[in-house]
Amino acid sequence: MPGSPQTSVGVAAIEYVLGREIVTVDELESRGLLDTPAVRMREFGFQCIRVSRQSQHELALEAARQLIENSHTDPRTIDAIYYVGATPDSHAVMNGDPRSAFHYPAAQLQYELEMARAIALGVSQVGCAGMMAAVSLARNFLLSNQSAERVLCVSSDVLPAGSRREMIYNVVSDGACALLVEKGSSTNQIMGHRQITKGYYWDFLYKKNEIAAAYFPTARTIIRDSLQSCGLEWPALARIVPHNVSLRSWEILLRLLGVSGEKLFADNIAKFGHVIAADNWMNLRDVSNDGGLASGDKVLLFTFGFGANWSCMILEH
Amino acid sequence: MGDIVLLTGASGTVGRGLVRALAKRSNVNVIYALSHQVDVEANPSVVPLRGDVRSATLGLSAQEYGEVRQRATLVIHAAADTRFSASLYELQAINVEGTKNVLAFAADCGQLRGLTALSTVHVAGKRTGTILESSLPHDAGFVNNYEQSKYEAEIILREAMKDLPITVIRLSTVLSDSKTGEVSKLAAIHQGLRLYYHSLAPMIPGTPDCLVDLIASDYAVSAIADLACDGFHAGQTFHLCAGKDAFTLEQLLAQTHDAFMTYRPSWRKRSIAMPAIVDLPTFELFAQSVDEVGDNLLRHSVRVIQHFAPQLAYPKVFDDTGCTEALAKFDIEKPRVADFYPKAIRWLVESGWTDRAIVPEAVAS
Repeated sequence: MPGSPQTSVGVAAIEYVLGREIVTVDELESRGLLDTPAVRMREFGFQCIRVSRQSQHELALEAARQLIENSHTDPRTIDAIYYVGATPDSHAVMNGDPRSAFHYPAAQLQYELEMARAIALGVSQVGCAGMMAAVSLARNFLLSNQSAERVLCVSSDVLPAGSRREMIYNVVSDGACALLVEKGSSTNQIMGHRQITKGYYWDFLYKKNEIAAAYFPTARTIIRDSLQSCGLEWPALARIVPHNVSLRSWEILLRLLGVSGEKLFADNIAKFGHVIAADNWMNLRDVSNDGGLASGDKVLLFTFGFGANWSCMILEH
Repeated sequence: MGDIVLLTGASGTVGRGLVRALAKRSNVNVIYALSHQVDVEANPSVVPLRGDVRSATLGLSAQEYGEVRQRATLVIHAAADTRFSASLYELQAINVEGTKNVLAFAADCGQLRGLTALSTVHVAGKRTGTILESSLPHDAGFVNNYEQSKYEAEIILREAMKDLPITVIRLSTVLSDSKTGEVSKLAAIHQGLRLYYHSLAPMIPGTPDCLVDLIASDYAVSAIADLACDGFHAGQTFHLCAGKDAFTLEQLLAQTHDAFMTYRPSWRKRSIAMPAIVDLPTFELFAQSVDEVGDNLLRHSVRVIQHFAPQLAYPKVFDDTGCTEALAKFDIEKPRVADFYPKAIRWLVESGWTDRAIVPEAVAS
């Protein structure tokens, strides 16, 4: 259950940017960037992805600037910045010198955005569950630091130019997302978060089939447990905000859960597919901006990241 | 005078045990052990015969055929093609045509006092509810071609009961020896368990409380030998099964999980989730998706499950009243599934079963 207004923590603002170039799955196929035929990908609900020629850092900076401006937040009041990237490339601003591995984008962002009092750190090795982990860490940080008020969580991933764009039967976009996690937020109060890590599946190239098989039963377990720990049952939930894996896999998972698809916000799956750690939050912003959520609505976010990590968060909008 | 027995399928899962069990019986003088292989256990009372039930002569020479026809007092027809994945045509060749050939042979036997045909409880196919031993005809359909071929064979056997002394024993899924846990031949259930062990069994169609009927191989062999020799009842059909003692699907998965943890402690660290029990349309949607995009290993794994597990989506209880009554006079106790199931898992884990390739070479290539 959310805490009292003084101690509750929520996601007060969300902004995101996507790669500028729109590429259809048919174009991806013709460029040799898919493993599965495009026709099948379209059957699975994908139409386009977004490819960026900007770097991870540039996208992250753009998303964070939008957030600070649109939420009218004074960057000097931000207590921490958590920088999320699924790949090692996202956690270093490399310039060809091996020592540039110590060039951390979290610190660069802190400097460029003039967040003078913010501590900076990176959240990595959680794959697509990184942003949810960062939000959860931010909440814990805020609850354990009386003087801390807000944390900026930024996720940014851009695959190297010419990369294959399919990951275990899903297509992947480049994009960045920024969240303002705040004490006493009147929106998106965090009711609960659970993460399951199963290291047996750490080698995703070798264990691809086992992961595909493990995905569903573990997803069902964590979603059920998350609802139960928040004292909720399915009827009390207004929306399921997904990570943008295939519609087919969501159809299977919802059937496993015994839930109809009406509550699933799936509009963005066709538009840009899976955006690593950011897509749940992009979807949350869009469903909210489209008027799909009312104040007090309970929302469930679920994602899966390599590692393997299953992650589920419940918010009160 | 003791019996002279023709046993078909002598090298099969149940057949091997039957050769041994019959050879121990003082009232069985000779066992003609017919098999397409010749690796039948040597015993003074056993006469190995290389043959093939698909042939009208059972694949025997004229001399062999004549000798057995003249002497046999009992026929136990255990030969069967039990591959769930085979085509109906292939399965009918042994299971239906083979049965016709054995019936024709039996009709020629001057001294025959009984023919016992082994069948499967799964001739009930997609029927649900309580399945009586006496019931057979239905139009519910079948989960796989094996079920259908055995059903067709039973229809023929029922018809032949008018003219010949026939009893049909429908076996449940034979898991392992009740005392040692030894599995004489890996079947679909063992393959399914192996997929679970390797985190390749994401979901099973069914309901948590549907029954998974399993029996021990040693019990099956003893019961068949008793029913075929001393307890022969012409015109009867028996369910040789766990019946009400069967595990529910939920129990089976939990017991498997516990047994893996007990007998391969290192399995625990994998944190492999129990397969989800789902309705049939969900399982079929998953199977279809894997078929469309999955790679060879996962596709093969799902097909293994697909060949037998959908049976669990048609919950049923096999009534075994007649069989229990018929066996009451014999000194035979039905092992409890809860007792022998962990032994089977232990034997499988310790026998190196977990290390074998999931995808057979022929499929992998």
